[in-house]
Amino acid sequence: MRVSLRWLSDYVAIDVPVERLKDMLDLSGTKVETVHTPGDSIHGVVVAKVLAVRPHPNADTLRMVEVSYDGDASQEVVCGAHNFGVGDLVPLAGVGAKLPGMEITERKIRGEVSRGMLCSGAELGISKDHAGILVLPEDSTPGEDVVNLLGLDDTILELEVTPNRGDCLGLIGVAREVAALLGTSVTLPDASPPESTAVDLDVSVDVYDPKACPRYLARYIEGVRVGPSPSKIVQRLLAAGVRPISNIVDATNYVLMETGQPLHAFDAAAIRNHHILVRRAGSGETLVTLDDIERALHPDDLLIAHEVGGLALAGVMGGASSEVGDATTAVILESARFDPVVISYTSRRHGLRTEASARFERGVDPEGAAFAANRAMALMLESAGGTLAADAIDAYPEPAARTLLTLRPARTETVLGVAIPQADQEDLLRAVELEVEAREGALQVTVPTFRPDLKREVDLIEEVARLWGYDRLPSTLPPGTSGGLKPEQRRERKIKTVLASLGLHEAWTTSLGSPDDLDLLGLPADHPARNMVELSNPMSPGEGSMRTTLLPGLLRSAARNHAHRAPDVALFEVARVYEPTAEPLAREAEILGAVAYGRRVPQGWSEAERPWSMLDMKGVLEHLLGALSVASAVFEPHDGLPFHPTRAARVIVDGVAAGILGELHPDVCGAFDVPERTVALEIATDALSPDSRRVQISELPRFPSALIDVAVVVDETVAAGAVETVISAAGRPELTAVRLFDIYAGEQIGDGKKSLAFALELRSPDKTLAEADVTAVRDRVVAALAKKLNASLRS
Amino acid sequence: MSEDIKSLRAEFEAARAEGLRNIEAAPDARSLEDARVAVLGRKAPLARLRGGLGKLSNDDRRDVGALANEIQSALESAFQEKKLLFEEADRAKRWEQERVDVTLPGASLPVGAVHPLTKTIWEIVDIFVGLGYLVADGPEIELSTYNFDAINTPPEHPSRSPSDTFYIAGSEEAVCLRTHTSPVQIRTMEAQEPPVYVVIPGRVYRRDAVDATHLPFFAQIEGLAVDQGITMADLKGTLEAFARAIFGESLALRFRPHFFPFTEPSAEVDVECFSCRGAGCRICKKEGWIEILGAGMVHPSLLEGVGYDTERFTGFAFGVGVERVAALAHGVGDIRHFYENDLRFLSQFTMPAGSGAAR
Repeated sequence: MRVSLRWLSDYVAIDVPVERLKDMLDLSGTKVETVHTPGDSIHGVVVAKVLAVRPHPNADTLRMVEVSYDGDASQEVVCGAHNFGVGDLVPLAGVGAKLPGMEITERKIRGEVSRGMLCSGAELGISKDHAGILVLPEDSTPGEDVVNLLGLDDTILELEVTPNRGDCLGLIGVAREVAALLGTSVTLPDASPPESTAVDLDVSVDVYDPKACPRYLARYIEGVRVGPSPSKIVQRLLAAGVRPISNIVDATNYVLMETGQPLHAFDAAAIRNHHILVRRAGSGETLVTLDDIERALHPDDLLIAHEVGGLALAGVMGGASSEVGDATTAVILESARFDPVVISYTSRRHGLRTEASARFERGVDPEGAAFAANRAMALMLESAGGTLAADAIDAYPEPAARTLLTLRPARTETVLGVAIPQADQEDLLRAVELEVEAREGALQVTVPTFRPDLKREVDLIEEVARLWGYDRLPSTLPPGTSGGLKPEQRRERKIKTVLASLGLHEAWTTSLGSPDDLDLLGLPADHPARNMVELSNPMSPGEGSMRTTLLPGLLRSAARNHAHRAPDVALFEVARVYEPTAEPLAREAEILGAVAYGRRVPQGWSEAERPWSMLDMKGVLEHLLGALSVASAVFEPHDGLPFHPTRAARVIVDGVAAGILGELHPDVCGAFDVPERTVALEIATDALSPDSRRVQISELPRFPSALIDVAVVVDETVAAGAVETVISAAGRPELTAVRLFDIYAGEQIGDGKKSLAFALELRSPDKTLAEADVTAVRDRVVAALAKKLNASLRS
Repeated sequence: MSEDIKSLRAEFEAARAEGLRNIEAAPDARSLEDARVAVLGRKAPLARLRGGLGKLSNDDRRDVGALANEIQSALESAFQEKKLLFEEADRAKRWEQERVDVTLPGASLPVGAVHPLTKTIWEIVDIFVGLGYLVADGPEIELSTYNFDAINTPPEHPSRSPSDTFYIAGSEEAVCLRTHTSPVQIRTMEAQEPPVYVVIPGRVYRRDAVDATHLPFFAQIEGLAVDQGITMADLKGTLEAFARAIFGESLALRFRPHFFPFTEPSAEVDVECFSCRGAGCRICKKEGWIEILGAGMVHPSLLEGVGYDTERFTGFAFGVGVERVAALAHGVGDIRHFYENDLRFLSQFTMPAGSGAAR
């Protein structure tokens, strides 16, 4: 809401500097977004008369305009706008004049000298209209300073009006707030019924939907002369950001800005029998609105109609057929209240947000209709002449009642945490024009109809609080309970800290995806990840579904880094994936994903570089499992996209397949533009739940251990894990630890074979193992390996 | 004193002199050991001389024996001193040989980082855990009744429009992607009686076109406290504690009345611009203040909706955008950086997780 301080001062005396007023409004709930003084940056712009217009010789879209402002000399300027003609008065910024952000100089435009420029409303900082030159009222005098003419030496406040305060979308409402803050009162403009003559009220109104239109007030005026508005009206509309149109339309807009009550003026001649019907739109009905767009109406749209069709989209925009124009001589004025819900749906349906709809949506004071109509009629009579029908139509079957509320002053303290004396609470409420009566220890409060936001006791407490001052509230802390993190919340923190300490960077990627992502991963049609929750209104086709895997997001992030030539990338994410269920809600499960390419260990001065491999990712996961005290995990070969067929493993935790890790298939790397040999991991974080049992320690050994190495030769297809399993079983009970320390394949042991060397730690709880004891264990292990895996001792 | 004894004493003194000379002359540790054997060994002159003492009278033996002992210990001291010198020299040599260039890089261990949004969430959550709050969460794919109706959003409210809110296909707008974490407030209250003290971090979704300050998804943290005797002063004190912990002790806070359908009274909270300290600059758009969160006393209709006695219980709630806090705290001008995962950005946050260095 744009508020001209000069205009506002008509209704309330403002005796504080504007900075102070801004603070007071900010801290009482009507935030002042900006304060501007348009006149400060405009110098030397004057009213000029257009004497002649000719085409620009070198540019089709430009014109050469000859203007004069002092009666004698004329000058030529180049202009791109076409919305004016010879005889019009326009703002001229001549050579040396100043506009916001520029100073005018003589310059050549496409070869022609331009001695200044003609200004649009936007260039003068009074509207957003860049398209046309601001055509000035006919009664302006050439040579007059435009700053004075347009009242630009004013201060404009841009207010952020909250949705509950429709009353502040009119200057009188703002004035009420200001008056309450300054401890003064509002002076309302004269809205006594204008003098009227005995013209017959040649109008009838039928409201077919009184719920959607609880009040419809119509007035009739004839013999008007449509023309420009007086300059005071023009100035003020410009200050409010409204384009002046004609004296009739300007009167409705002026009163709209003043009172917040939207008004509409119909050309009475366009209304069959002057008979207005307020009804819902019929199916298939269309209406051409003032913006010359033919709109297909919805049966829920409320229509102002006459006997042969629609006239206006109620509360949103007038229709082209009944628009007031130069030829209009009789006007029917509408001052109505429409249901906020109906208007807001219509406004949204047609993508039309207007000054009127914005106000009806928030609720217009039903008691304000006559006041606004009287004001508009008076303005029209003054500027357009004519005679007014004495009577008004006022379809208002159920006059609005004022809300009665009770405020217990002690409840204010309960909610706010500060004791405000009852008398002060009463004063604060009265300051915003509520009627207050203290009775039986409580305040009986009557709420005026212009404050429909005050519906219950707590709303009054907010009025007291905001007017008393939030800044005066004390600061205390509630007792709280025993706060803390749940095990799964601690787990999430640990996963992230451990992975970060292992050199991975945490990523956040979008939860939105699409089946195309799964195509890139090469997932088969029956893959469970294909079962996605779909959105009905995605912003783009690639964001139409909820993700079922973290890999696409991580791979895209990796690809982005790859495109920037980042040599080594290791990213992880802990986030949800979504799976449809038979219920309305999906199953949302938290999973851990990771991708990495490049070097796990970069070349250092003392160590050789080493690329990321699937076993590095396995090491990361094993480290994480250890840090989380997860009992144990088993790794089985996994062959399936998006992974490399022979370089991936399923991770089995507690007998359940919890995830997969491995090298990605080269085709998948190609599809995502990441380097070949990129490795990845995806695992359900549920599987990473720490063993909840407390660790029970083993007694420390009393006797020394014996360390032996066993190197065996097996077929190259035999898994190292299988060898280790056999050793572990056969070495019992003396075997306490086994570790693979060397793998060899080559000539010495023959084709199709490999040698695996293990270090074994042996120990007895009762004695120091003798040479013979150790040999016995070794023999047992070797024999078992020979039997179960056809292994031979490496010679 | 007999001549014999005199002569014997002279021999002892000669052995001392020779011994000292030998020890002194040893050029290195090995020669010193040779000298020790030659001077203090069993076949050394001193030992030989001592061997003859038994033949002397008691008085003479005592007299010469004392001299012998004195010489013995003088030679031993000389030896030890010399030995120490060699050892020190050896050590000094070793230290020099073993010198490490401490400016060489440390053995390389990979360094990663927790994401700045995670750090911000942890930091905020930790503040409230310290104040006695639990951490709650709930579904991101949410019933519209929880996302809208339960928090007083009227059916015609524009935020429900499919141009603003994502809906699940086939649900006829009954299921949406939550637009705030507020439904978790309702679910938490439905599941328990007061006292309720929770913070709710989580992802939320709105159909906003992507630019430097908007994304269709972002992270939010809401807080809810419902108990007997909860007041707006408690809200103010709580948010001040929060802002001090995140933005520092010295920045002022400002509570402005505002409107939210789910709180009454409602407030927007501004923090003094950390860049210009209230003077007005580009960062705060010349306001001197930066809006950081919305808050208020839980609307009694929400409490009634979950069956709480509004005469007994009052509560407050607040909500803050994680990206906004993180952007302000770390000077991030474009929130898209948070979701691009560019290592040139992420690696700037390489520091111990949870160290709280958001300032």
